[in-house]
Amino acid sequence: MTAPITADPEAVPPEARPAVRELHDQLERVWSDGPGLRGWLMSTDHKSLGKRYVITAFVFFLLGGLEAAVIRAQLARPENGLIGPDLYNQLFTMHGTTMMFLFAVPVMTAMSLYLVPLMIGSRDLAFPRLNAYGYYVYLLGGLFLYTSFFLNVGPDAGWFAYTPLSGPAYGVGKRVDVWAQTITFTEIAGIIAAIELIVTIFKQRAPGMSLNRMPLFVWSALVMAFMILFAMPWVAVDSQFLAMDRLIGTHFFNQAEGGDALLWQHLFWFFGHPEVYIIFIPALGFVSTIIATFTRREIFGYPAMVLSLVATGFLGFGLWVHHMFATNIPQMGESFFTAASAMIAIPTGVQFFCWIATIWGGRPRFATPFLFILGFFAVFIIGGLSGVMIASVPFDLQVHDTFFIVAHLHYVLLGGGVFPLFAAFYYWFPKFTGRRLSERLGRWNFTLFFIGVNLTFFPMHLLGLHGMPRRVYTYLAGTGWGSLNLLATIGAVTIFVSVVIFLVNVARTLANGELAGDDPWGSSSTLEWATSSPPPSYNFAHLPVVEGRYPLWSRPQEPPVVTGLRTDQRELLITTVLDARPDHRHRTPDPTIWPLLAALTTGITFVALVFTPWAIVIGGALAIGPLVAWGWGKPQPGDPVVTEGVE
Amino acid sequence: MRDWLQSALRPAGPEAASVHALWEFMLWTSVVVFVLVLGALAWGTLRRRPAGADPLAEGGPGERRMTGAVSTAVGATVVVLFVFLVFDFSTGRALTARREAAVRIEVTGHQWWWEVTYYDSIPNRRVTTANEIHIPVGRPVLIRLNSQDVIHSFWAPDLNGKRDLIPGKESSLWIQADSPGVYHGQCAEFCGYQHAKMAFLVVADRPADFARWYASQADTARTPTDSLTARGQEVFLSSPCVMCHAIQGTPAGATMGPDLTHLASRRYIAAGSLPNTRGNLAGWILDAQGIKPGAHMPPNSLTPADLQALLAYLGTLK
Amino acid sequence: MSERESVRVAGEPGSIDVSGLPSTTFGHRTITWWGTIGFMAAEGMTLIICAVAYLYVQRNFQVWPPRETPLPSLTAATIQVLLMAVSVPVMMWTSRAARRFDLGGVRVGMLTSTGFALAFCVVRWFELHALHTRWDSNAYGSTAWAVVFAHATLLIAQFFESAALSALLLVGPVEPKHFSDVDDSCLYWYFMTGAWLVLYLLVFISPRV
Repeated sequence: MTAPITADPEAVPPEARPAVRELHDQLERVWSDGPGLRGWLMSTDHKSLGKRYVITAFVFFLLGGLEAAVIRAQLARPENGLIGPDLYNQLFTMHGTTMMFLFAVPVMTAMSLYLVPLMIGSRDLAFPRLNAYGYYVYLLGGLFLYTSFFLNVGPDAGWFAYTPLSGPAYGVGKRVDVWAQTITFTEIAGIIAAIELIVTIFKQRAPGMSLNRMPLFVWSALVMAFMILFAMPWVAVDSQFLAMDRLIGTHFFNQAEGGDALLWQHLFWFFGHPEVYIIFIPALGFVSTIIATFTRREIFGYPAMVLSLVATGFLGFGLWVHHMFATNIPQMGESFFTAASAMIAIPTGVQFFCWIATIWGGRPRFATPFLFILGFFAVFIIGGLSGVMIASVPFDLQVHDTFFIVAHLHYVLLGGGVFPLFAAFYYWFPKFTGRRLSERLGRWNFTLFFIGVNLTFFPMHLLGLHGMPRRVYTYLAGTGWGSLNLLATIGAVTIFVSVVIFLVNVARTLANGELAGDDPWGSSSTLEWATSSPPPSYNFAHLPVVEGRYPLWSRPQEPPVVTGLRTDQRELLITTVLDARPDHRHRTPDPTIWPLLAALTTGITFVALVFTPWAIVIGGALAIGPLVAWGWGKPQPGDPVVTEGVE
Repeated sequence: MRDWLQSALRPAGPEAASVHALWEFMLWTSVVVFVLVLGALAWGTLRRRPAGADPLAEGGPGERRMTGAVSTAVGATVVVLFVFLVFDFSTGRALTARREAAVRIEVTGHQWWWEVTYYDSIPNRRVTTANEIHIPVGRPVLIRLNSQDVIHSFWAPDLNGKRDLIPGKESSLWIQADSPGVYHGQCAEFCGYQHAKMAFLVVADRPADFARWYASQADTARTPTDSLTARGQEVFLSSPCVMCHAIQGTPAGATMGPDLTHLASRRYIAAGSLPNTRGNLAGWILDAQGIKPGAHMPPNSLTPADLQALLAYLGTLK
Repeated sequence: MSERESVRVAGEPGSIDVSGLPSTTFGHRTITWWGTIGFMAAEGMTLIICAVAYLYVQRNFQVWPPRETPLPSLTAATIQVLLMAVSVPVMMWTSRAARRFDLGGVRVGMLTSTGFALAFCVVRWFELHALHTRWDSNAYGSTAWAVVFAHATLLIAQFFESAALSALLLVGPVEPKHFSDVDDSCLYWYFMTGAWLVLYLLVFISPRV
């Protein structure tokens, strides 16, 4: 009998085709989403949900980008009257909140939720229903924020919402309450994604994929997930404290009653700084994966790369105070955080040097994903170097809260997040859709994006040094900031054009792009390329057995596979944490509507919490039904049932 | 360079100068690092490779050389960071060294203006003004910072870095100007609607000028000497102005808004937004919201004659 | 088609037949155990953050609890600790019953745990009163309530989980995996009660020393 990894009848000898076709049909019956809208709403497939997650996050990227475009238009010249302070303050708050909470982190978890099960050779995530719930909670949070914004209740106290400006005395109306509850939505979704990823990576790797054979992207997804798990509760609790100060008169941040405005900042930045690494670390995983493919050689120094990722994850928690140097922290404390902030450059440096060595030793091919990686190098290094500069307390006190910081953070987040993300889009698009994006448009996309980013953000370094603070809706002509601002606005237009080209590229490719085949790059090393493009609902007809760090490179003619997993119901293979030895088979639940309904009750709860604390009670009562139904599944034929007296 | 209203790259005092020296060191180090790393990347990417060699088929060549190169680069990174830390800590220590303050000034942040108070052991020598800080040139000045409402940040980049004003938590900052002049500064922490228009001036005077300025500020306001300005004072005292503003020597003593006792001596109005001209002042009195939407100054409707009288009176408050 | 996509046949050296592996296991072998650990980590962080806030605002008070606020009373909170201490052996016994697939045993165990969880919630009501302050009195009240109330959400959630699991075990259909769920529920129980011991020391005992 043939046991292929893909159930592609074309790929087996004629006599084996009926059996392969039958296997495919059987697995498809068991694993595919049901038909129609109902099937779509009930889906728990990590690929269906992963795609929705990525698309939703990208839509928020576009919205956040449009907000930035209006901001840049307003600042293009001094004393511009395009928009007033009220809308401006909402716009930059929305821009920051959208990009950090609705785009950057979700898109990274979304890419991981899609890719990780494929990369480690599993059929789905550990808790598919929970994954669906997490996605819907995130979606509802985003819809809630934008509905509020269009109803003129958009938050306006900054994405960092410093008290007391955001507190009950100064943040009047419901604007900040909307912000606080939006945060809760996204943090729940983030924590759920983190737990999914950790458990899936620990327990569902294909046999043979011991920890030291795990692809670097999976390592980075793992580190990201741990960081989310330990960082996100801080802002979730912090924002609930704020909501309670506003709603039921608690005094967490009220100095007059013993509360503390700096408590807000400590809790916020204890999340806020790791947040940057939560975005950056998965991007490093993209970079490693793509460099290996496009230089046709393994990443130099795998152990050093893994240790650097882990070290970055730990150090990321030791830097938060460097956002608060201007608040009169004792000098000893400042020195510690300066040293820690500078030290994090070391693991990042290790990875950069290893990549350069890899490229040097390989044979680079300048496809669009690789171009974006080269762009990542140039842009991120500038952001990294300015990052070391602002680790210095005296220098930071000059540029803190100025456009120098705006420049720095965009160099870091665009360089270290969005460039690798675009590379990843181009790289995995064929896997997601079965079609390849156009290289010609891809090169335009890259070139304009690279020029646009530098044109927009490089002048901001100078603006900050020449005294322009952040978050100002206008400035006087006499400040001399006009021409550099105009240059930055021209850069923003360039970025806009570049993103439009990307959208055109996507639309044209989906309509009639070049078919990709299983592995269009010809030198990919990770398991997702061993299955069809797009992957079938069940991912692999037979789960692969892994015999090396780069399973597709070291593969024998007929690679070993796993047989004996049930095909008549959804079953996952669970393996051991360290060595990925097969341990047991896990019956994973079928699609259901309940996670969506449970997410709706969660959504109602948080929206109602803007208005009344009783929302907790009402929402809790509403949630009981869906949650019980979610867990209390009817056994399907073939599922074992225990009756009294059976051992 | 003089084109900039305010700039950290044009240090005018010892604090800003030491930060500037640190900046120049970091800038040039960064340029070197950037060129080296990108140069290595360019070389690694573009170097000629033997035809036909496929690293995927061969396994990577030169692993040992690469290990050596990567280790050297990491070592160099550590050394550079160490030098940076030493330079940084020594700059930091110099900036926070104890000194004897020639003048102590209390600056209180309000949405969206700066209250400035000079304390004196003799209570009636105490000076309260707004948005314009005078300091004697060449002398260390200690600014004590506090806030009445939300968090603000005091920043005059030509003189020193910034410091947050956090309600209920006093902080302080040293400034010193090497030469006489007017130095601009502005709020750096987002503080609501008019964060953009919350600027201030630091005017460094020669010691004799400073003493003169201080003496005149410590005086109460001039009494009107003609009927027009007397009418103006009457307009002021009978209008909503007195709800928020004080003019020492008159019954107006509210502290919600800037003290106007010596308004005419100041260079700007509306926290650095407008030059203090008669026309600007008229526009500000009638329609502050048009100039600074959201500011706490309400619109005022005055007859033209009352307005002229009020402007004439305010113009005497030197 | 590239070379790599050609035929692959089972029975190759290295291929693995997993049909003989078990489908129900317990403890750290299962993914639900790891998922439970994940939620415990997130909830544990939440409790830690509330405790951090409690300790942080303490710096703004000269006396703690603030003047005119009595020390929290110990009766209810101490009863709670004792009740929890008694419940732990019961849950250990339930966990062993689950691992034996003893349906009668886990029914008794989960029903008892539902009773315990309900009792915890009732005692928690008195504990909140025993703080002798309100959430809106001052920052002491806010943070003390935050700690105790945040832990109360765990108790309420556990009550519903125990009740739902009991109902499922009584009504059925019971699947083998439900025994593993009972086992994980016991793990969560240890976390929940252990966490309270620490928070009890923080909120009720530490102001006295």
